[in-house]
Amino acid sequence: MYYDNNQRFKNEQRRSPDYTPTVGPMPRPNPNTPPNPSTTPGQMPNPMTQPRTEPNKGKRVTGKPKGMIDSIKELGTPDVPETKSNIQCVTIIGQVEGHLSLPPQNKTTKYEHIIPQLVGLEQSNEVEGVLLILNTVGGDVEAGLAISEMVASMSKPTVSIVLGGGHSIGGPIAVSTDYSFIAETASMTIHPIRLNGLVVGVPQTYEYLDKMQDRVIGFVTQHSRIKEDKFRELMFRTGDLARDIGTVLIGDDAVKAGLIDEVGGLGKAVQKLRQMIDQNNNQRGVPLQ
Amino acid sequence: MILYTPMQLELVLDGMDQYQASNQREISMGSSTLIVEDNGFGRGQVVRLISTEPQDYLNPNYAPGAEFKF
Repeated sequence: MYYDNNQRFKNEQRRSPDYTPTVGPMPRPNPNTPPNPSTTPGQMPNPMTQPRTEPNKGKRVTGKPKGMIDSIKELGTPDVPETKSNIQCVTIIGQVEGHLSLPPQNKTTKYEHIIPQLVGLEQSNEVEGVLLILNTVGGDVEAGLAISEMVASMSKPTVSIVLGGGHSIGGPIAVSTDYSFIAETASMTIHPIRLNGLVVGVPQTYEYLDKMQDRVIGFVTQHSRIKEDKFRELMFRTGDLARDIGTVLIGDDAVKAGLIDEVGGLGKAVQKLRQMIDQNNNQRGVPLQ
Repeated sequence: MILYTPMQLELVLDGMDQYQASNQREISMGSSTLIVEDNGFGRGQVVRLISTEPQDYLNPNYAPGAEFKF
């Protein structure tokens, strides 16, 4: 006799002792199980009268997760294990992309990716600290400052590490965190904002660029130990860069200038972040007087 | 747009005047986003993972170059 797969499955189910059909006749009460006082036979349990169970905790999946491709094939959805780390990391790489998409030869960090991530991290109860990792060649002033302002205004402990490079607009992003690290070999270029795209007339343009520059300088001096005169001096120094005016600060130089707090790598940064998280949690535990 | 970068602007903005339709797609996977290059016939390759969850980066299915079926 021919069965289609579905029919055979149903028949096998019917044969199993604890099968109750979902469609069709009402289930007969099973004599082996004690009657449930809260439900009368033939009635669905009322969710309102059921005792409240513990709220669902974050699902932790152990063992081998199903391959994404397999689960898409079978169920139409990927099975993503939801193991959330209490430290989440945000990476700023390549060019910081602003209101215009850059041509495809650029590796970019887009603000439409970073900004919602930061909102998510601020809101999440499981996330206790944020690690910001930078290897950037700068980019759009507006987008860079937007990211910096968001990181600076977060209530959770934040730590940044500059690896490789944190140039130009990477500077404000690096100092926007509560504590900042720079790798020994990493470099930061500080230089004036140059002109592109916007040509109104010489005096107006200079004034506009000057204002843009003041935004960057203002942010950096507010969020790090560096003084405004020192930062301006580094920005306009001649003879340090071959083709331009400005300065390259490598590792310890950035710390000495007061831009970055400490020289260190991933280990130190995570240790510092953990320490700040502990402090933050302890403060929250003290009752108000 | 004011770019503040030590890179040469000619290099950054090269090709800005010619529009190229990208065959890269952004696919949302739970809390993370994958940038996938569409190779046609429902197949693709992961180009980049965008996530704040460090554990996501250890998932071989999300690694750049991994095969992806739409």
